[in-house]
Amino acid sequence: MKVSLFITCLSDLVYPKVGASMVQLLARYGVKLDFPEVQTCCGQPAFNSGYWNEARSAALTLLEAFEDSDFVISPSGSCTSMIHHYYPKLFENDPVNLAKANRLIEKTYEFSQFIVQVLGVTDLGAVFPHKVTYHPSCHGSRLLGVKNEPMALMQQIRDLELVPLPHAEDCCGFGGTFAVKMCDISGAMVSEKSDHVLETEAEVLVGLDMGCLMNISGNLLHRGKPVKVMHLAELLAEGVKLAHERA
Amino acid sequence: MGKSDADFLQRLHEEALQKQEAFFGNIASRLGRERRLQTAPVRSIKGAPEFWEDVQLSVEQRVELFMSNWQKAGGHVQRLSRMSDVKQFIDNFIATTQARHLIIQDQDELAELRTALKASTDINLTVWNSGAASEGEKDELVAKAAGADIGIVAVEHAVAYTGSLVVTSDPARGRSVSLLPTTLIAVLPLSRLKTKLGEVLRPFDVLPLKERPAGIHFISGPSRSADIENDLTIGVHGPGVVYALIVDEI
Amino acid sequence: MSEHKATSSVKERSKVALNNDFLRNAVKFTTERLKNGKLAAAEEHGNWEEWRERGRQIRLHTIAHLDYYLARFVENARAQGVHVHFAADAADAVRLTMQIAEHKKAKSVVKSKSMVSEELHINHALEQLGVEAVETDLGEYIIQLAGETPSHIIIPAIHKNRYQIAELLSKEAGEELPPDTGILAGFVRRKLREKFLEADIGMTGCNFAIAETGSIVLFENEGNARMVSTVPKTQITFMGMERIIPTLDDLEVMATLLPRSATGQKLTVYMSVISGPQRQTDGDGPEEMHVIILDNGRSLQLGDPQFQELLNCIRCGACLNACPVYRHIGGHAYGGVYSGPIGAVLTPALNKNVAEWDDIANASSLCGACYEACPVKIPLHDMLVYLRRRKVERGSKDPLEQAGMSGFKFLMSNANRVKAFVKLGRIGQKMLVRDGHIKAKIGPLKGWNSYRYAPSLPKQTFRESWKDIEQGLAGTLPELSTDIKARMEQLMAQRTGGGKYHG
Repeated sequence: MKVSLFITCLSDLVYPKVGASMVQLLARYGVKLDFPEVQTCCGQPAFNSGYWNEARSAALTLLEAFEDSDFVISPSGSCTSMIHHYYPKLFENDPVNLAKANRLIEKTYEFSQFIVQVLGVTDLGAVFPHKVTYHPSCHGSRLLGVKNEPMALMQQIRDLELVPLPHAEDCCGFGGTFAVKMCDISGAMVSEKSDHVLETEAEVLVGLDMGCLMNISGNLLHRGKPVKVMHLAELLAEGVKLAHERA
Repeated sequence: MGKSDADFLQRLHEEALQKQEAFFGNIASRLGRERRLQTAPVRSIKGAPEFWEDVQLSVEQRVELFMSNWQKAGGHVQRLSRMSDVKQFIDNFIATTQARHLIIQDQDELAELRTALKASTDINLTVWNSGAASEGEKDELVAKAAGADIGIVAVEHAVAYTGSLVVTSDPARGRSVSLLPTTLIAVLPLSRLKTKLGEVLRPFDVLPLKERPAGIHFISGPSRSADIENDLTIGVHGPGVVYALIVDEI
Repeated sequence: MSEHKATSSVKERSKVALNNDFLRNAVKFTTERLKNGKLAAAEEHGNWEEWRERGRQIRLHTIAHLDYYLARFVENARAQGVHVHFAADAADAVRLTMQIAEHKKAKSVVKSKSMVSEELHINHALEQLGVEAVETDLGEYIIQLAGETPSHIIIPAIHKNRYQIAELLSKEAGEELPPDTGILAGFVRRKLREKFLEADIGMTGCNFAIAETGSIVLFENEGNARMVSTVPKTQITFMGMERIIPTLDDLEVMATLLPRSATGQKLTVYMSVISGPQRQTDGDGPEEMHVIILDNGRSLQLGDPQFQELLNCIRCGACLNACPVYRHIGGHAYGGVYSGPIGAVLTPALNKNVAEWDDIANASSLCGACYEACPVKIPLHDMLVYLRRRKVERGSKDPLEQAGMSGFKFLMSNANRVKAFVKLGRIGQKMLVRDGHIKAKIGPLKGWNSYRYAPSLPKQTFRESWKDIEQGLAGTLPELSTDIKARMEQLMAQRTGGGKYHG
């Protein structure tokens, strides 16, 4: 069985530790992730701004990369929902690639979805003795419907104190190019999100999307309040490592 | 200012008929049709979801739900046995509030009440019946309603699920009576209280054209607004004080 | 329709809004209240998703057969004595209204809330004719006195505080009124009473037209729509051509969805089904009733698979209350009659001079909260992307963005190019990295770094470290458990080769 990693451009270029964490965690269950190098980006930044031809150029690398895969896992609800929700539109007029895209949709999972739905695991044996709060990214929760899986995983982590994030479902203001094009509105939104994070007095902000986390942590740093941000995969990987050390 | 010239209206009508063709033609062609659809399209989905059919409350449950909703919206409610109790309630209300001007529908259900109120010398009672009224007399009725402290109606229907009273218009039932006075007292015969909106709405769908009232009004509490800084205020244009008197037997 | 907005952009107007603390607090408070009201009401009612889908299906069906249902409405309304007119655009509707007003030698008009009438700027037109046009909804009355447009579909004066309102009303009263809601509302009640009773024409909007009975339905809380359709001798109702459902039976569904979505109420205080003018022996209600059916860009959406669903809208405002962008900038920043997510799509869609309104579609992070909130499930978040695409196809006027996207295309079509680019990036960032972050506000970084620090590039990208990761794990993996293997095989067997979500 070929289980492939869709690394996403953001994790590849800026947050490689997220990818590494995923690989390590899945290895423990005998899932050997493979990494087709042809992949670049799902195309979302161009797609959302209306540049569909440009988006297609990037998307084609994914279609090629995962054509032979049985499962594809990504550390981003946003990129996964780009494939699920928008690839049919992107390749509407291209029957060959549309068929490839539809096949890709069926086998692509967001990270927490894969662990809970495919592996059937919620307890990875992790220990993480810290106060943590969780930000549910918009695309993952609204477009993909990922709501229960991350909660199920976090509830099994020993010694983790999960504090609810006030107004958790409010968008953090990232929205890809929105953060740059409408920087003042985006700035207002991320400041509000950071306020809520600070209200929880959590040591760590965890999430499923590095876009959101990069946005929120960037704002927190700008305000001199360094709350640690981690992707759920990173948190679980550290938690598993800690459990081993304690054992 | 009277009604429009028949000629004027006819002219506008002809203009409308002309534009109508283009209007519908445009819609039809955009929807992929050569000419406008003349036969009713098949519908598998109509009205409320199927499971809603099964929601049925007993009479007592309806009363409880209606009263709860009505009061939550700021209305007042009383459960009474018969019309004589209604009369007594209204007498007390008049005495307490020192109301002087009343207006009441000329409905059969309220006959007893009308007679009793007419006999009273402390109040000025107007009975709404426009059946034989001239235009000037109709204006008088509206003016009386506008100046009334209390408007009294018997409702045609009520809906427990939304806490609503339903009144309809006809010569003996002016719309103004439930709208213009400061206070509305509505008599609700128990047998007219239904559970759901659809139960009241559906019969109107099949009512023959000639019998359809010009106005069907659902009233679910006192008039209100939160337009000023989200601060709730009661009695903006419609009655600010509303009483629903649920009567077991009319 | 061809609205002309102020020469500023959404971005510029947003900046003004963001600096107005009162506005931001007022909008936040109001949208929070309404949003929570909706959530509570939906929860209490139960099976909300089923009702939403029902509402969606009824509206989709009606719009897909609009030629049939609109014709039925016209037939049935006329049978009851309604004078039905057709207006292709705003100018047409205004002309018709003026003709009627002139013929009646009307001196005053009282109006209940109608978003369609805002599209027409009808008050202005009437005033030109020397006819006094008074808004009677409390919020609309206030902004009429202020000479402003509504900033929220349901609560039009949300941007005004009580002191400003007291000042406006005091001027009207000719005496000083305290900033007390009860007293201010009391003044308006008395003042508008006179207007209702002496007005020649009553004007209403139309929440829903009922095809099979030829009725129009009005939802309100104050009682002014009832007043306007009961007291004056002539009534003119403005109706968007898409505001229609087949039967009163269907009205139960809309009456269940609309009030809960708008304010969290089970039903608005008044819901009126008006079927024609007064009957001969009725004592009140209009003697003469006109319905003006307005197109004004709506028919442009028909037959467009990406935008036809836009006509499902029942104007509840739930999307405004859910939108994080609206919450921060308020309604006026959108620049048009309609604001919030629905406004961001409707305004460019209805207007033929699309290019002028293009930047509204950018005022969204595409979070999807609007779609989640919409009682008839309009995919506004998708429509915003479609609008952006159409803009690009027409020829985007942003050379910088175009260049950026061309660069994106060039890089992302080949993984090797990405590798090369990263190497450049690492060299380039050397000058900008401080304490592991990039804080410089120059060039493309300005927007981001005005509010954040940007992360610096790591020493190795994931793909550069892949070999090491692979090697490090070699030989350490356990066997895939039989359980997991079975699950995976079952999932694979269920695949059809067609798209399916796992949500």
